[in-house]
Order: sequence, then structure tokens, then C-alpha cells
Amino acid sequence: MSDHDHDHKPAPVVDEVSDFEILEVAVRELAIEKGLFTMDDHRTWTEYIHTLGPTPAARLVAKAWLDPEYKKLCIEDGVTASREVDIDWVTSPPTQFGTPSDYCNLRVLADTPTLKHVVVCTLCSCYPRPILGQSPEWYRTPNYRRRLVRWPRQVLSEFGLQVPEDVEVRVADSNQKTRYIVMPNRPEGTDGWTEDQLTEIVTRDCLIGVAVPKPGVTSNVKLPVMKAANPVPH
Amino acid sequence: MSKPVYDRTHHAKMATGVGDPQCFSGKAGDAKFKVGDRVRVRDLPDIFYTRTMTYARGLEGTVVELVYESPPAENEAWDNTEVSEWFYSVVFSQHDIWPAYSVGYPNDTLETEFSERWLEAV
Amino acid sequence: MSDAVDDETEFYGDRKIDSKPIPLLDAIKEKGRVWEDLADEYGVTNPDPPWKITLETTCDLLAGDSCVKDYDEVDQDTTLLPSLDRRWEEDALSDGRYKDVPFPERQLLSLAHSMINRGLLDEAELEKHMAAVEKRLNSG
Repeated sequence: MSDHDHDHKPAPVVDEVSDFEILEVAVRELAIEKGLFTMDDHRTWTEYIHTLGPTPAARLVAKAWLDPEYKKLCIEDGVTASREVDIDWVTSPPTQFGTPSDYCNLRVLADTPTLKHVVVCTLCSCYPRPILGQSPEWYRTPNYRRRLVRWPRQVLSEFGLQVPEDVEVRVADSNQKTRYIVMPNRPEGTDGWTEDQLTEIVTRDCLIGVAVPKPGVTSNVKLPVMKAANPVPH
Repeated sequence: MSKPVYDRTHHAKMATGVGDPQCFSGKAGDAKFKVGDRVRVRDLPDIFYTRTMTYARGLEGTVVELVYESPPAENEAWDNTEVSEWFYSVVFSQHDIWPAYSVGYPNDTLETEFSERWLEAV
Repeated sequence: MSDAVDDETEFYGDRKIDSKPIPLLDAIKEKGRVWEDLADEYGVTNPDPPWKITLETTCDLLAGDSCVKDYDEVDQDTTLLPSLDRRWEEDALSDGRYKDVPFPERQLLSLAHSMINRGLLDEAELEKHMAAVEKRLNSG
């Protein structure tokens, strides 16, 4: 159960940038620069090999896109709104009582055509786990945490997201007991879509705010499996 | 010497089935600030523990939401949950936080939370 | 497994791997701090460095169709670094030039090595870009 003494003790991090980390970034960025692949393909693929399908948070967003009353509830009371997608913040795993790291105050940050939210935790790596699952590796790195608050547009562009100049970028720093998800704008080209269709395009990265949903880009496509070159007979 | 008796699960008992910060709801009394108020983040000394970021100290921002009531992190770290305070979500202009913030994005903002003790009226 | 005939060439099965030294990568091999040491020093229990997942994506994207097709069916024109070729080269380099480097650091060195050998990257250009990345990641 809770080890309350250690409630807020930050998890240790590797607080230095190694040559290998730099080499990985440099190889990737040069490949993008040379057009070997795109930044967006890279982000999409990384997200997809790291997640298994739409999260409950994706369904929450899809429902809100279809139902203005529900959208209002999401913005006013994220914890109550979560129950409609079968997430009870108060009783959900892993801690069952909303602490130490899963405090029960969800706020849904709704984007507008002139406002783009993105979430970070500069102090540690607070993340809305009950509704979004485990955080991605990059979300926990000092690189993301330290730089997003200060150079949000640069970091977002490293994820392949260019935010227009006339749109306000708002960084939400999750430093106390609130956990955030971003409700992105419903994209063009989704008229008449069902809740299930909409849910599929609200990927994890969209909910953190480092990507925006696009028709055709989903996180739950079939996992390609490489055939064995020398299969073992059985 | 006898070992002090300490119930390490008492916080769990308090929050089970209710949630944290919900278990502190109604314990902070009247809120000092309201949505729309301009506030300044105080630069209080850090004793052992805080969750108020260095970058926010001394900044002026706008209260956008009264988020919940809770003991402040500085007390809770010592397991002192006797006194609760209101927590506020405050929005700052990025240009106020980082003097060198990119020119040309005057509307960019940052939002984060503070307990009441950290804020003063402007 | 591998048969190093000289410092420049290695055979792996019937494949000849160009393993001539690349000074930039050798320097990283010598002075770069590997994740297992960093994790140990900082008390981190995660067995993998955070960049492992993006490294894997880079390999997958360069592999293109070869991830999901039989080797004979892969269209070489659409695949920049077929996954089997990369794996063969990584195995050979891991047995030779980058023998003492732990995983996944040696996968990264091998990938860069294979890319430079194929002209997908230029050593001088990589060195220059690394300096820019280092400055960016460490900027205060």
C-alpha cells in the first residue's frame, strides 16, 4: 500500500546527456533532413509500437466531440466525466485510492482554434495513468521535462507538430495534485464519423498534446510481424 | 528504546473510496482569491520540500480556476495534513517567465498550480 | 561466428562486412558513457535508455517493407537499409569492432556504421550535427 513517507520523493533520473543519446538524435534528425523518412512517420511509429490501442481517454474525447453537454462536463469535472468511459479515478488501479502518484483530480484541457495545450511534469513525471496508461519513455526524460516549459514550440516541432504563430501554446505543468489530458480539436474530414471511428484517431500523443489527430492516423493498426529468416521446424 | 508507533497506512485509509484531494474537500474554508484575480507567486524559503518551481517565483499571473483543497505539499511531505488550503491554477505569459522567450509569440502561456500560501494579491 | 581477416573486412557466413574504422564512432565508443553505467551511477532501475525506442523506430523506418516481407520479395529501391542486412552487419560489428560495447549502444553504433558505409550519412556531417544536438540538449 502507500508508503506515504516517500509520497513525493522524485524518482531518480540520469541527469546528463550521453554521447550515445546525442548520436541517436543526430542520426535520426539527419535521416529526416535527407528525406529518408519524415518526422511525422517517426513519431507515429514510435507511438504505435508503444501502445496497444485507443485509451479510455480517446473515447472520452470522441464522446465530447459528438456531445456538447458531455464536453462541458469533461471541462468542469474530468473525474465524473471519466466514469462514462469506465474509469473511476477513485478506485482504479494501480493504487486503488488515488495516491501516491495517481491523485484523483483530472482536468481536461480543451483546445480551441486559437489555443493548443501540451502537458508536462517538470518536477518528476506525473501522468494521468488511470485513463492513459503508463507514460512513454520520452515523457520522463529531463530532456522533455526541462525543455518543454521553456521552448515548447521547438520541442513540439521535434515531434513534427508546427503550431501556427497566431495560435497560443499553453504548457500545463503538472506540479501538484491535478493530472491533465488534452482534448484536441476535431479534425477536418471526420464529418459523420461514429464514436468508434473518432476514438481511433485520438492517439496517446494527441492526449499529451504533442500531436494532433488526423483522419487515417490511428494507434491500433495491426502490428506487422517480421517473418523468421530461418524458421525452426516443429 | 522502544520504536515509535506509526501507522504508515493512515493516509490510504483516509483516501480509500474517496480519493485524494477529494478527502480534503470542505476543509480549507473561504478562498482568498477568485477566478480572474491577478496574483504574484511568493518567493518563500524552501524547507526540506516544496513543489513550487523556481521559475515561477516572483511572477505575476491570473487565476483561472480554484482546483481543489488540500494540505500544501510542504506540510504533507512531513505527513502533516491538519490544515488544508485552496489550490489555484494560474496562467502566466511565457514572456514573463523567460526573458529570452522567442520573439513573435506574444500569446504563449504556461499554466500550473499553487497552494494559497504561495500567492499574494497584486 | 565471424572471421576477422584484417581490420577492414569481416565475413559473416558468406557475407562480407565492411568494418573499416570510422573515427567518429570509435571516439564515441571510447568516451561515450553507456546506459548501464549511467543507470548505476544515478540509481535508475530502468534497464533500457530512453532513446532505445526511437532508435528502434529509426531502424524500422529505414527497413521499410523488409520488416513485413520475405527477404526475396523486398523491393530494394524502397528499402534503404533492409532489416536483415542491418542485423547481419550489426552481428558482425558486435562480434568485432564494437565487441566491448553493451546493447543497445552497440546497435546504435552499428546502425550509424552501416548508414555511413552505404552513403546514407556522411561522417563529417554527422559529427557537425552531433555538436549542434549536444548544444541544444545541454542549453541552459
